[in-house]
Amino acid sequence: MDADLRKQIADARRAGLDVERPNDLAAIHKLGRLSPRERIDLLVDANSFIEYGALAGATTRPEDQVWADALVGGVGLVSGLAVVVASYDVTVADGTQSDRNQRKMAKLMYLAVEHRWPFLCFADGTGARDDDPFPAPPIAVTPRGRFDLLDGLAELNGWAPTVCVVSGDCSEAHAAIAMLSDFVVATEDGQFASHGGPWRSAQDFAKSGDVDLLVGNEEQAIDAARSYLIFYLNDESCDAEAAPDAAAIADFIPENRRRPYDMRKVVTALADRDSVLEIGAQWGRSMLTAIARIEGRTVGIYANQPKSPLAGAIDAAAADKAARFIELCDAYEYPIVSLIDNPGYMVGPKAEREGIARHHARPLSALHHRTVPLYSVQIRKAYGLGPYAMSGWGSARRMPELRLAWPSVESGGMSLEGAAYLVKRKEILAAPDKETALAIRDAYAEKMRDATSGLRAGRSYQFDDVIEPAETRARIAAMLQRTPRQLDRGHLGDGSAKKHPIDPR
Amino acid sequence: MNNKDIHDLISAKVANRDAARPEITQRIHKTNKLTARERIDAVLDPDSAVEYGAIAAQEKQGDWIAEAGGVDFVGTVDTHPVIVSSTDYSDHGGGYGAGRLGRLFALAYERRWPLVLFVDGGGSRARHPRAGLGHVELSGPIGRFSFLDGIPELSGWVPSIAIVSGPSFAGHASIAGFSDFLVSTPGSSIGMGGPPMVEAALGQRLSANELAGSEMHETSGGIDLLVEDELAAIAAAKRYLSFYHEPKIEPLDPAPGSNLDELAIADQYDMHHVIAALADRDSTFELRPQFAQNLITALVRIDGRSVGVIANQPLVADGTINHAAATKISRFVEICNTYDYPMLSLIDSPGCTAEWQNKKTSDTTEAGLTRWHARPIMAHQQRTVPLLSVQIRRSRGLASALMNGVSTTRGVPMLKLAWPDVEIGLRDGFSAALDHNAFDDVITPSETRAKLVRMLRLLQVPEPRVNPHEKKHWIDSW
Repeated sequence: MDADLRKQIADARRAGLDVERPNDLAAIHKLGRLSPRERIDLLVDANSFIEYGALAGATTRPEDQVWADALVGGVGLVSGLAVVVASYDVTVADGTQSDRNQRKMAKLMYLAVEHRWPFLCFADGTGARDDDPFPAPPIAVTPRGRFDLLDGLAELNGWAPTVCVVSGDCSEAHAAIAMLSDFVVATEDGQFASHGGPWRSAQDFAKSGDVDLLVGNEEQAIDAARSYLIFYLNDESCDAEAAPDAAAIADFIPENRRRPYDMRKVVTALADRDSVLEIGAQWGRSMLTAIARIEGRTVGIYANQPKSPLAGAIDAAAADKAARFIELCDAYEYPIVSLIDNPGYMVGPKAEREGIARHHARPLSALHHRTVPLYSVQIRKAYGLGPYAMSGWGSARRMPELRLAWPSVESGGMSLEGAAYLVKRKEILAAPDKETALAIRDAYAEKMRDATSGLRAGRSYQFDDVIEPAETRARIAAMLQRTPRQLDRGHLGDGSAKKHPIDPR
Repeated sequence: MNNKDIHDLISAKVANRDAARPEITQRIHKTNKLTARERIDAVLDPDSAVEYGAIAAQEKQGDWIAEAGGVDFVGTVDTHPVIVSSTDYSDHGGGYGAGRLGRLFALAYERRWPLVLFVDGGGSRARHPRAGLGHVELSGPIGRFSFLDGIPELSGWVPSIAIVSGPSFAGHASIAGFSDFLVSTPGSSIGMGGPPMVEAALGQRLSANELAGSEMHETSGGIDLLVEDELAAIAAAKRYLSFYHEPKIEPLDPAPGSNLDELAIADQYDMHHVIAALADRDSTFELRPQFAQNLITALVRIDGRSVGVIANQPLVADGTINHAAATKISRFVEICNTYDYPMLSLIDSPGCTAEWQNKKTSDTTEAGLTRWHARPIMAHQQRTVPLLSVQIRRSRGLASALMNGVSTTRGVPMLKLAWPDVEIGLRDGFSAALDHNAFDDVITPSETRAKLVRMLRLLQVPEPRVNPHEKKHWIDSW
């Protein structure tokens, strides 16, 4: 074989590597960020990355220096299983999208869709390349493969996890990648813009529910993305260990039934040690959603948060957040655990204006159409329609596989304080001062509580069992053992094996 | 047979009629409303009504009976079977007829019969002996439908229409919120918690209408249509059903008046005129007309076929696609896909806008992209009904992706037309069509209807699906 040709290939390949581009590397490090290859090295198992299109350039000229056409991509292993990875390179043509690197993406999409491999993209970049001979989609749709970048993401949605890491500027067509992905991790200095609009910080996007996790730097982002992928790839971890405070889980619930507490602590104590990945912590804050492990099994946990501005009441955002999370768990076959302590759906003119009468139905529909098992644990309050959002609407076609309660449970058509107010309204309104009024209300509420709490809840068979809080973990783990995960790895074909999309909002 | 039994039966049935309750009937008529039975009569074809649970609504010695509070029927609307149920606000405050609704929902599920539900009422009965004990939680029939899980099961399988002509709160509002077509009347209200609950929980004293008025829902998207009274609501329900029951009727020419070639050269135009010029005469039935007016959703007839139209409205917010418009698209695509209506998209939009809430200053709307804009894209991705697309003028950013989907394979528009002066990015229609196959054809505006008609004639009206397992997906309530 022609030795010159071989050397030319080897040289060209080498020239694109970080070691041959110290200035580019210094520039990206100066921004506090990593080069595409450093990112991928951190993400995937050692020596497992198979790169696609390393030699691609903006032109076909041998001396072309648009390395990898600004997109490093390929297939690597994460905990031994295949993941499709791509990273734009902002030191090359500003990390823009070109027709050629879109063709690389189309190939990667094909691999991900065909094999149900997760797809992860580092999407810093500013959209289409201005001087590219062909404009990027969606302006003109020239098929590059079975799926293009955006429709590949839409096709993967609900089929295999799509993860987007955003550090730095992410705009226009790059922002579209982020908004079509099901898990978006951004660094605090990340920002978004689109359609020529102004920059908006990743913090704003986290607060609005458009970014799932906010972290300090890229290493942390990669760490979180890796965890998210491993929950999907390997749903049975063998080094499971209970959390240090698992035995004392009951202590997080205050003796005074009106005092709030942090549900995060309950979740952490219930799940395996250091296994909790909270999603969307900064929006819909009365609803807590997290992927975690129980005895090694991946589960989705969603829970009311008494320590939130709405005290766990479910408003439109919380309902949306729960619905999306349930769809995500159902799509990726994560059994669901719900932890219930809420005063019901949010009421009042603001909640109604936000459309709670419409939004409230979303978690109910998602629960109804699930096929993964659901284990519900009522910790304290469940009033009005609130418990349905956490365990399903009806009783007949779709029941929670296991419905547990702690002794502190209390239930009712509306909050006990509310019901007591209505029953004792005349007396309360006639009370000489606010303290007396509250005392009348609370005394009656306490009476009503006795009728629905503890042993009585068990006697009326509202629950499959009323248990000691510390037993919860073992009960759920035992059920998990009896219901192995059934992830269909068959072909997507014409939508046959995908259950449903995960609603982005 | 025992004559007394027959006599008892007849008198029990007579006692249920409006004529046997003149005071109540009069009281209802005074509020310009119909009684429960009059509503049913107005919905169903004459002599088609079959009542379910006619004598179940009796209270004996103060015992609570699940079936009180409303009337339930099966009958026909324009000869097609339909299930109709109305709460009776004069009977137990319209408390659930839960037992019978479950029965009717099972029928709807098996037969694919649409539902028309009048749901004014205040939720589950406050004086229910087990109220406060999570009574609904485990009270349904085990193994089949409770009326509660019937609602999500039926979503996307049978058209469900809710009519709210009065206060509707808690459980009643929930049924309304689940329905895929929700019609209401002025002065009505739909909310999760009624005035007493809001007073108890938040200390605010508000009337039902101040709290959750249908007029408010009309602009915020909570309802699909606000009409003047109950009879108009019933007419709207029938019109909605007609698109489902009769996917193809005798075609009519469009109303005369709109010349699309002239319209196309105007600086400003109303997209409603374009729709009127493409659709059969007087066939346009707009849904959510006062919500997100920058994006029009309408059921229309083209060549007699039921077609779902999504169209940007350049007269409002320049035709940008904000969060509300995005959800309006995605929910409508789901409805059309579920009921097998072919779709038409009419595109003229400068792109997407994002909305940001701000506690200190007023809320901001600015050019941008959020996950709300991803919803229509996902909805198109699972759409299997054909979509025809006409690019009228602008399509910048992701506008056409939200209107047509992004797919190059699944859900790709069946025919992508453009008018000559389209603007996509910096390119005009000719060069886009020539260079990049962006369009299947560039046509003069006045040719558009003929092209659409030809295409629709190639598309067979699908056989109705009858097995519940053939349900495609549920319809998102938002």
